Formats: sequence, C-alpha cells, structure tokens
Amino acid sequence: MQIKARHVVLVLLILIPSFVNLGVPIYNRDVPELVGIPFFYWFQTLWLFATAGFYLVFAHLKGKQT
Amino acid sequence: MIGTDAIISFVSLFVLFIVLGFYGKYWRRGDLDHVHEWSLAGRKLGTTLVFFLIGADLYTAYSFVAIPSGIFAKGSLYFFAIPYVMLTFGVALVTMPRLWTLAREKGYITASDFVKDRFGSSTLSIMVAITGIVAELPYIALQIVGMQSVLTVMLAGYANAQIVEEISLLIAFIILAAFTYTSGLRGATLTAVFKDILIWITVLVVIIAVPISIGGFHNAFSHIKPNYVTLPSSLVPAYATLILGSALALYLYPHAINGVLSSESAQKLRKSTALLPLYGVGLAVLALMGVLVFAVPSAMNFLSGFPESSRGILVVPSLILYTMPQWFSGIALLGIFVGGLVPAAIMAMAQANLLTRNVIKEFRPNISDKLEIRITKISSTVFKFIALGFVFVVPATYAISLQLLGGILIAQILPAVLFGLYVKSLKRTPLIIGLLVGIGSGIYMVEAANNFGALTVSLFNTGFGAIYIAVISLTINLIISFSGSYVMNTIQKKKSES
Repeated sequence: MQIKARHVVLVLLILIPSFVNLGVPIYNRDVPELVGIPFFYWFQTLWLFATAGFYLVFAHLKGKQT
Repeated sequence: MIGTDAIISFVSLFVLFIVLGFYGKYWRRGDLDHVHEWSLAGRKLGTTLVFFLIGADLYTAYSFVAIPSGIFAKGSLYFFAIPYVMLTFGVALVTMPRLWTLAREKGYITASDFVKDRFGSSTLSIMVAITGIVAELPYIALQIVGMQSVLTVMLAGYANAQIVEEISLLIAFIILAAFTYTSGLRGATLTAVFKDILIWITVLVVIIAVPISIGGFHNAFSHIKPNYVTLPSSLVPAYATLILGSALALYLYPHAINGVLSSESAQKLRKSTALLPLYGVGLAVLALMGVLVFAVPSAMNFLSGFPESSRGILVVPSLILYTMPQWFSGIALLGIFVGGLVPAAIMAMAQANLLTRNVIKEFRPNISDKLEIRITKISSTVFKFIALGFVFVVPATYAISLQLLGGILIAQILPAVLFGLYVKSLKRTPLIIGLLVGIGSGIYMVEAANNFGALTVSLFNTGFGAIYIAVISLTINLIISFSGSYVMNTIQKKKSES
C-alpha cells in the first residue's frame, strides 16, 4: 500500500505542473497585473519556480526509492 | 553605430572564450582517443555541469532570436516557449534517467545505439540516426542566424558590413571547429559555463534597466495591440499543441541525449533536470524584449532601417545596444554570440556521433577505435561548415521556419526511443512504418499549410482550430506503431497456440 501511495504522489508531481501548463485558459487573462506585466506573462514566468519545486520533490523521492 | 568600448569588451571576452575552449582538453583529463571520452566527457559531469551543459542546449539562439523575434512580429503566441521548457523537463525527468541507466550498463552513446539493441533492427536504428542528423542541421543553422544578428547590429553603419560579417562568422567557426576537434565535449562544457554567466548577467541587468529606462512595463504594454497582451482565443489550441509538441521533441534531439548521457549518475541527472525550469526565467525575460522594444524609439528607429522580414531577429541585440552603456553592450552581445556558437558545437558533435556509430559503422563494422574517433571529429567539423554554408545561401527568416520543420521530423522517433524504454510489446516493423508515415505526413502538412511555397507556418487548420503539425503526425505515427505491434503480437500468440 505504501509503495502504491508513493507512486501516486510521484505521478501527481509530474501531472500537476503539466496540467497547468497545457490548460491555457487558466492563465490566458490580462489582470491582475504585476508591476505592469499582464497576468498571462508573469504567471507563466513565476510558475517556473513552482514547477522546479514539484520536480525537485520528485527527484528527491525517486532517489530515495532506488 | 557601435563605439570602441563595446568592441573592446566584445573582442577581449571572445579571446577568453577561445582560451577556455582549448583549455578544455586538459580539464579532468581523459584519453581523448576514446569516443566516450571525447563526446561524453568521460561520463563524469555532476549536477551543476550537466545543468549548464543541457542549459546550453536549451538557451540557444532559439531563445535569443527565434522567440523574441516571433513575439515582436506575431505577439503572445510565441510565449509558448516558457511552458514548453517547463513541460519538457517533466518528460525528461521521467524518461532520461532510465535511458542513462541502460546506456551505462550497455555502453550506449546515442539513442540509435539503444534502438538497435532494443529492437534488433539496423534499419530502424539507421533511420533514427538519419532523422536526428537531418533535424539537427536547421537547428545549427538557427544558431548561426543568431550570431549573424549580433554581427549585423554591431557592424551597421560601417563600410563593407556584409563582407566583414561573413568573414567574422567564418573565423569564429574555424576557431570553434579547432577547439571542438581537440577538446571535445570538455571544451564545450567549459565554454557553456562561461556563456551562461554572461547571459545571466545580461538577463538580470536588462530586466531591471530596460523597464526603468522606458518608464515601467505598464508603459510598454499599454501602447500595444491586444494580441500582445493575452492570447486570442482562436490561438489557444495552437498554443497548447506547440507546448506539447515541442516539449516531446526537445529531448529527442541528438545533442540533448548527448548531454544526458554525459552525466555522472542517474540521480545527479534527475536533480539537474528538476532545476532546469529555472533557466526558463531568463528565457521569459528575453521573450519579453520582443514587447519592450516597441517602447524604445531609438531601437525602433534603428530597426526600421532593415527590411520587415529581418527586423525580428535583430530585436534583442538592438534593444541592448540602444538601452545599455557601450561597454556593457559588448559583454551582452558577446554572450548572445557565443550563445549560438557553443550549442552549434554540441549539436555538430552529436550529429557526428550518430553518423559514425550508427550509419558508417553499420556498413563498415570493423573500423578501429582510433579511426572511429577520427571520422567523428572530422564529420563534426564538416557538419558545422554545412550549416554555415546553408546560412550564407538561405535567408535568415527561412532558417527559423526550417527549425520548426526539424521539430516535426525529430518528434517521429519518439515511439521507438521513449516508448521503447517502457513498452515491451512494441515491434520494429510497425515502428519503421510509423516513422516513415509520420515524417511523410508531417512534410506534406507543412507544405500544404504553406501552399507549397516558402515555409512560414508550422500550424495546420483542423476542426479544432490551428494545431502544431508535429502533434498531428506524431499521433498518426503512434497509432500505427501501437496498433501494428498489437496485431503482430496477437498473430504470434495465435500461431504459438495452434
């Protein structure tokens, strides 16, 4: 059971950032702006940090597993 | 016109770049008469260096030239490059450590080595190698277009600019060929770190200084057409499929796999891959330059002196030149210049590996290690000059479009390379047919979408809106590969039962 749960977590860590990336309507808007930059641009840029976070956790868990 | 301060900082840093390239030979010494020493730096690169090396593959003229140029000319659609790099590292994180592990166990140096071993088919492995070599050529050409754009901006206003530009490019390439010949991937890795330091300095300075000099981002975005602010809803399918198609394609390029296999361990590879989305922040800043430039009248005035079709590729260098002090422009412009040069070297090396190991050796299996490495080194030099010749003959805007075609081609090896890592039921014959049909349908759709004229679009109009052709032809390819393998397995089972 524990192995299964860990597997689900690993899959989610890859799928969540991918879902946001490909779900274009989620971020295709101009407001709220950040320092004058439309939402479309700043959200995708800041989401890079979140994605790296998801991926780092993935790498960490995967490394423990093997 | 550019001043002496800029030229001095540009040239002196270029000299340092050359020194590093040749010094690579002595760095972490290995016997460079062995292919894996020369082309994979002895598989000894740790998290940080793999980060820089693969980052160098990604942070190419594609980011400095093609993306800002696309945003400048067409608007927000070209920002797909940001989510694309995020997604591509997700794909890599899942698949590449497995490829690395197999490669270490069985001594693979290329993806074709894996395909040959996995499916026992020289035909399939040669096809994968040739697809890689061909798809890589326009990618190298694009790097040269990026270098050319720097020289064009620097030489504008001087006499004989055209000739000086071509000679400068030729000299740069001879130097590059010389140090990749002697230092291999070690030289490329050292110069990749150097290049990235320059680029990161440029990106950080630009993102702070340019908005201040134009009175804030708001100012830049308020005077611009709506399709630069958000994505028009008709382009949403195009945006999503460009993300998906490009993300699936990037790690199939020979140079990317080369970078992966040079890692020291699977876990170090995972860590550096996980961190690579951060690289995209710099890419986003550069992409935004395609919008910011509209708010800099001097740069726009300079750009208006060029034909409309070539303005896009000059956006980043001219924006830097017209907003930064001269000495700093020299540093930044050199960063962009070697930002094309280093990836070009890595790509040509990857092509050469494929040609020698997976094409020539198939026909002449008995060549010695020494001869193998010599052929690899020489062909890597030849590929560089083919790409250079290509740029002298073909107009720059055309080269960017061909790069999109390269993406469509390389995506077709995905079933064999990535699914081959996991799916046991895949058979070689359906994969070969799928690959051929994928390439054929991809080329046909590109031609049809461009009315059989000059290549400018890589989107195909379907019932769901415009869609990136790579995704359509890859879908066809996957259907053939999987259903064909299923049918073959079923027939085999029935035969063995009766």
